[in-house]
Amino acid sequence: MSQQTFHIRVNVNGRWYEADVEPRMLLIDFLRDVLGFTGPHIGCDTGHCGACTVILDGRNVKSCMVLAVQVDGARILTVEGLEQDGQLHPLQEAFWENHALQCGYCTPGMLMSAYFLLKRNPDPTEDDIRKAIEGNLCRCTGYVNIVKAIKSAARKMSTRKQ
Amino acid sequence: MNWRWPESTSLEEVLKVHWIGASIPRLDGWPKVRGEARYPTDLVLEEMLHAKTVRSPHPHAKILSVDTSEADGMPGVAAVLTASDIPGQNRYGALVQDAPVLAEDVVRYIGEPVALVAAVCEEAAVEAAEAVNVEYQPLRPVTSIEEALSPGAPRLHSTGNVARHTVISRGSPHSAIETSDVVVETMYRTQSQKHMFLEPEGGVAWIDEDGTINVVAGGQNPYRDKLQISRVLGLPMEKIRVVSYPAGGAFGGKDDITVQIHLALLAWKTGKPVRLVWSREESGVVGYHRHPYRMEMKTGATRDGRLTANLAKIYSDTGAYQSFGPAILDVSIEMINGPYRIPNYEIDAYLVYTDNGVASAFRGFGAPQANFAIESQLNMIAEKLGMDKLEIRAMNVLGPREPGSFGVAVETEPSIQRILERARGRLSRVGTPSRGWSRRGIGVALAMKGVGFGAIPDYPAAAIEIDPDRERVVAYFTNPDYGQGVITSCAQIVAEALQLHVDKVEVVNADTALSPDTGSSSASKSTYAAGNALLLAARNAVRRLALEAARILGVPASEVGYDAGFFSAPGSRGRVSIFDAAAEMASRGSRPRFEAAFEIPRRPEPVEGTLEVPHLVFSHALAIAEVDVDLLLAKAEAKDVHLIADVGRLINPVGARAQMEGGAIQGVGYALMEEQAYSDARTENINFTTYIVPTIADVPDVSVEFVEGEEKTGPYGAKGAGEVPFVPIAAAVADAIADATGVRPTELPMNGERLSRLLASAGLLPKRLSRLLEGA
Repeated sequence: MSQQTFHIRVNVNGRWYEADVEPRMLLIDFLRDVLGFTGPHIGCDTGHCGACTVILDGRNVKSCMVLAVQVDGARILTVEGLEQDGQLHPLQEAFWENHALQCGYCTPGMLMSAYFLLKRNPDPTEDDIRKAIEGNLCRCTGYVNIVKAIKSAARKMSTRKQ
Repeated sequence: MNWRWPESTSLEEVLKVHWIGASIPRLDGWPKVRGEARYPTDLVLEEMLHAKTVRSPHPHAKILSVDTSEADGMPGVAAVLTASDIPGQNRYGALVQDAPVLAEDVVRYIGEPVALVAAVCEEAAVEAAEAVNVEYQPLRPVTSIEEALSPGAPRLHSTGNVARHTVISRGSPHSAIETSDVVVETMYRTQSQKHMFLEPEGGVAWIDEDGTINVVAGGQNPYRDKLQISRVLGLPMEKIRVVSYPAGGAFGGKDDITVQIHLALLAWKTGKPVRLVWSREESGVVGYHRHPYRMEMKTGATRDGRLTANLAKIYSDTGAYQSFGPAILDVSIEMINGPYRIPNYEIDAYLVYTDNGVASAFRGFGAPQANFAIESQLNMIAEKLGMDKLEIRAMNVLGPREPGSFGVAVETEPSIQRILERARGRLSRVGTPSRGWSRRGIGVALAMKGVGFGAIPDYPAAAIEIDPDRERVVAYFTNPDYGQGVITSCAQIVAEALQLHVDKVEVVNADTALSPDTGSSSASKSTYAAGNALLLAARNAVRRLALEAARILGVPASEVGYDAGFFSAPGSRGRVSIFDAAAEMASRGSRPRFEAAFEIPRRPEPVEGTLEVPHLVFSHALAIAEVDVDLLLAKAEAKDVHLIADVGRLINPVGARAQMEGGAIQGVGYALMEEQAYSDARTENINFTTYIVPTIADVPDVSVEFVEGEEKTGPYGAKGAGEVPFVPIAAAVADAIADATGVRPTELPMNGERLSRLLASAGLLPKRLSRLLEGA
């Protein structure tokens, strides 16, 4: 099983990591198996469920659709990096307070898609929110409280800024 | 647990309303939003082996030989196991142990496990699995209920293709049908539905220094899993530990064994930690699914709308093995007359083997299928008689203490009439008017769902420990929280019982090494069962610790009272906290841990021919659905679903509402989109690309109102909310489509394919499309 490997350097949640990876290794497997970030989950491997969503250089991506070798030099944010100085991100707070999760398996991906939305659009309409999480499946909640939580986080973040 | 209040709720406010009825955030929410919760498929152990299952490519075949010699010798391979390596009994199954752990002489569905491989990495395991050489002689598969029952069909089991046949009747159903003023006769078909939990079946296992096998995998009943492992491995129960928390969704699909026995076998044989996780596609092929049904219904009524008789033939496709099939059939039998007064009925029910995978428990457990049939029948009778659909239900619904079809009342406190009352006026509500090719319809259905196992004995046990050092109360119970929120509701119940802040309560969930057996999380009973057991344990704790307090206070125990965390006695100075009393007990070497078991009320004997009929406690829900039907696209889209429900007292109203919303949306998926299609016992739509579950783009507005009754046998009046919101959705959506188009769907799901045929049959499709469908 000796294979050619590539050396990559990648920043995850503010810290730089270096590793030799096989060319076919997926970003999600790199994050989970090599670096130990098991917040992003695997629900399918085919880019449909969105449980593995992370922020890659400012954009939300499904990390099962990206190869590890593609992220050399990139900055990645996972759910583990949302918290700042021991304080939950307003989205994490809002998901928790609004029962926007049940089993919680989709939550790390859902949070990252919501994070990407609020970065681009701090004052989203309900329609904007629904479009932003179209690529993230949740089988438990029926999405009702997820939409509520994202609205509530947006409100909270805009008040804090003022 | 790191836990604090949301900004909006002050402690005083919460204490005023007590912990029962307080919508506190989930106790498991903190680790889950931080991404630090470790699900079974997240776990990595040192020197862990990776496992792969060798599976049958045939739906039905004889195994002529299994040759593992090539795989055995491959680099990195630690074990290749076949049926002959199983030390104990090579059978498992929740009710009847009829499924081979590894197939011996015959396979009965595509994907049936034949061998197991463990290797140092996943690639090596995959390669070795491919190198296991199994020689099959394919046999003719049984691909449908009809084929299974036809003469000359291959026999899948030595007993034939009928796993169970039950006939229950009362009165003179056939003559009552003949003399009825109006009779509706319809055949209904419902489909196989996949659970599609986001975390596939999987986990890890390892052996402790003392020889205990530890299995951590998403499951719904760790003690039953442990029992099943012990039978197969031939090991005593105390050598096995099962942990089933957390789990990334279950919905019934992790109730019976998935990976647990295979994991234990591999750990036992190799002596090493091992990981086995099914891929999404593997889960799609071999994971459980909801039983497809065929139901032939003939229901009669008088001219003024009173139900006279119900003739129901029910056929359930259980696939290759029984799993929960017989109990699920019981629930369908119990639900097929609805909550209605029907003096004459005959229920003729069959559980049938086919080669279509293995069907098992799924939210609703046989109730959704039966509900689709009986509620559609009722709506058609109302239409025939020109009656109001709520009125016909109000007229036929059983009274609170009136014995129903199976000798027991369907409500312990009056609630169905209250639900119907609340629904009044809503059915006539005018939505968006129909425009162009689009038609808007509104529909209704009423549902009930038993809480618990009915006549099957069930004694959930739980424990409470008062930890004096950390000043915490620890609640131990094993029915897993896979998202429904039983950890939070039970913490609230314990806080209320001991009159302590819920911050003082911690939960240890679903670990057989630490907790007595609370049974399963299933049958809408997790809060009811664990909550009741914990209430009794809390009472034991107070009673026992009052003795310690009396000793400290120097008064007779009979004088000691307990209030908000403190023991005191009239006339004696000072008070003793529950933690100080526990410290006193601990100081003499006794552990301040208190267990109790609750007996779920039941009839001593089930109705003849069944395992669990009747239930004694039911939750109720009525659904009103508004649906748009696009005649041009033959597409039905649910726009609005409103639920009115009685699930007993709400322990955590926001959590209960979330259960209802999630259940309703799964019900919309069942009604309109979801179907695992089998063709020649082979299924192709096995992942999220081809099996479409509702995304946020598919979901209607959902609203929920509660008619809050108080269940006398429930913990603080609670019943169960897990399943009942799912049950009425399909019938309500079908009714809305009938309202919009004038033709009534009788098959699920009501997707484009079925809808276009239905609309064509009624002449509602544009003519050119109709001709295309007819093949002209």
